[in-house]
Amino acid sequence: MTQIAQPVPPTAQPFRRNLAIEVAGLVRTFQNGQQAVRAVDGVDLQVESGSIYALLGPNGAGKTTTINILTTLIPPTSGLARVGGFDVVKEAAQVRRIIGATFQETVVDKNLSGRDTLDTHGRLYHLPKSLIKSRIAELTKLVELEEAIDRATKTYSGGMKRRLELARGLMTQPQVLFLDEPTQGLDPHNRDRIWTYIRQLKAEQGLTILLTTHYMEEAEQLADRVGIIDYGKIVKSGTPEELIGALGEDVVTIFGSGDTGRLLASLRQQPFVDWASEYSTGETPGEDSLAKPVSPSIQVGLKEQAGKSLRPIVELAEQAGFKIADLSIKRPSLNDVFLKYTGRRLRD
Amino acid sequence: MAVTVEKRLETVNNRAAAGPGKWGELAGGVYTLWRKHMKKFSRSVMEIGGTLFSPILWMLLFGLSMGGMVRGIADFTPSVNYIAYITPGLMLLTCLTAAILGGTTLLMERTSGIIKEYLIAPIPRLAVLLGTMSSSLTKALLQAIVIIVLGLLLGSGLNLNPLAFIGGMGILLIYTLGFVGIAAAAASKARGMESYHALIGVLNLPVLFLSNALYPLEKMPPVLAALAYLNPTTYAVDATRHLFYGAKIEIGLWLDIPVLLVFMGLCLWLGFRTFQKSVANPA
Ligand SMILES: Nc1ncnc2c1ncn2[C@@H]1O[C@H](COP(=O)(O)OP(=O)(O)OP(=O)(O)O)[C@@H](O)[C@H]1O
Ligand SMILES: [Mg+2]
Repeated sequence: MTQIAQPVPPTAQPFRRNLAIEVAGLVRTFQNGQQAVRAVDGVDLQVESGSIYALLGPNGAGKTTTINILTTLIPPTSGLARVGGFDVVKEAAQVRRIIGATFQETVVDKNLSGRDTLDTHGRLYHLPKSLIKSRIAELTKLVELEEAIDRATKTYSGGMKRRLELARGLMTQPQVLFLDEPTQGLDPHNRDRIWTYIRQLKAEQGLTILLTTHYMEEAEQLADRVGIIDYGKIVKSGTPEELIGALGEDVVTIFGSGDTGRLLASLRQQPFVDWASEYSTGETPGEDSLAKPVSPSIQVGLKEQAGKSLRPIVELAEQAGFKIADLSIKRPSLNDVFLKYTGRRLRD
Repeated sequence: MAVTVEKRLETVNNRAAAGPGKWGELAGGVYTLWRKHMKKFSRSVMEIGGTLFSPILWMLLFGLSMGGMVRGIADFTPSVNYIAYITPGLMLLTCLTAAILGGTTLLMERTSGIIKEYLIAPIPRLAVLLGTMSSSLTKALLQAIVIIVLGLLLGSGLNLNPLAFIGGMGILLIYTLGFVGIAAAAASKARGMESYHALIGVLNLPVLFLSNALYPLEKMPPVLAALAYLNPTTYAVDATRHLFYGAKIEIGLWLDIPVLLVFMGLCLWLGFRTFQKSVANPA
């Protein structure tokens, strides 16, 4: 009953060699009472086979919804999405056979052992028993759960559960793996381990991975390409180097109080300024708008090294009636990229 | 060990087309989930104990004390002893409770998100529902057998005609499937355990008391009797009491069976519809 049939000649459409995931104009709305929320609002993205793509975005940006559509959990409202060349709506059955996924929340049955969890998963994918057995052995070794694998998962720590979930996602040797915030809530040690596995999987098996994350570092460390998503749209995408490189030389951050609008306007007229934007700290729109008082800050991307431009910046601030409380200079990071395109800081 | 990207890509189409076919995927999915639920059940003292506790208590207290009391009334329970008389009702109550507790499996998998693992697996969504339903049904019938054995120990006797026994099990199955359907509907809709458990409270006692489970219809006040006729339990008790214990039939199998089949059909349909709606938007 659980035997896998012999592979039959493909009847499905030919797979496009270089793109494992193609998404165009993807939209998904939810009805929240009277209000319609556009959780995904025209996402376009492409992920090459054998590469890692990181969706980076604040809370409520639409990351999980995008993954839910790509894993065939929910249908899109409109737009197109293909995984492994198969349409996620019309060819959902084929998509399901070639993907693996882990969810944002930890989802393991606490009364089953790790082994039972993996075994059940393999059976759901109709793997032959012998293969299930050998995969469990390989994967428990990979995620270093040999000792705990026969214990009920309620005795696992958060990191162990996360690793078990990763093993579960890999049970069926998927072509495309979706990881929704794979290291959320893990300590640095466990985070490192997960990163190591992910790199290993990509290097050894050419697995395509789409992951979402709140951690800049994670995107920088793992991803071949990063897509910054905000309010359901990809606002910027590229390799981490491209994105950071596009920010110019140095980034100056100014904290203080005053007429930020005027200061921004005059900064933007300077020849040495590449871009300037405002953001507020300690605030995530929608979720906890009653949070701590918001202190405005300004970020300025410079075309050259900061040395010569500091004086003019301070003078401009004085002219604009802006009181500088603090000022810092640094080389740009993905964090600044994120800040520039979303106007918000991520909670790290 | 390392597989090249090219090689992997070549296998994508094969992988996507492979698999045991539509019916194989359904059967495999149902069996896998049934197996998982049964495994958890066998380890869960709570679930087994919780289902069996009240019927056993009823049998011991009610059966023994009432049994002694009504012994004097010659025609209170026509044609069988009192233990045999009440065992079918308690058996059905056990099935009902098991069906409702079985529904909590679906509810918990839904609210905890485990259902997402199933929904993106290459099995039809129907398999998720049927897997839960079949495990609930199995649990219920196993426990019904425990009650039959307990009845035997307390002196209920048993109709030894194998056809009648199979017929009786068939009635249990139809009746239980009805409540399995109701449980699936409630588990697909309920927001959490509390609201779900309110359902057990609502169903349990009326089902027992507003029926002929403990006393004959003809001895009931007319209003109660009328209500009892609206209760599917009444028909199931009538049929199983006759089939398992050879009691004189009060209503008649010709009515019992169609009524129960309609009840089962409606409830399963309700469970199916509600489930379909809930998985269309599981997030
Ligand atoms: N089932 C749903 N019903 C109604 N609204 C929803 C539903 N799912 C998501 N949303 C809304 O859609 C938006 C995007 O949610 P989503 O979960 O995709 O964000 P996210 O980027 O994953 O956020 P986080 O980083 O917090 O996980 C949010 O505003 C959310 O409230
Ligand atoms: Mg999310």
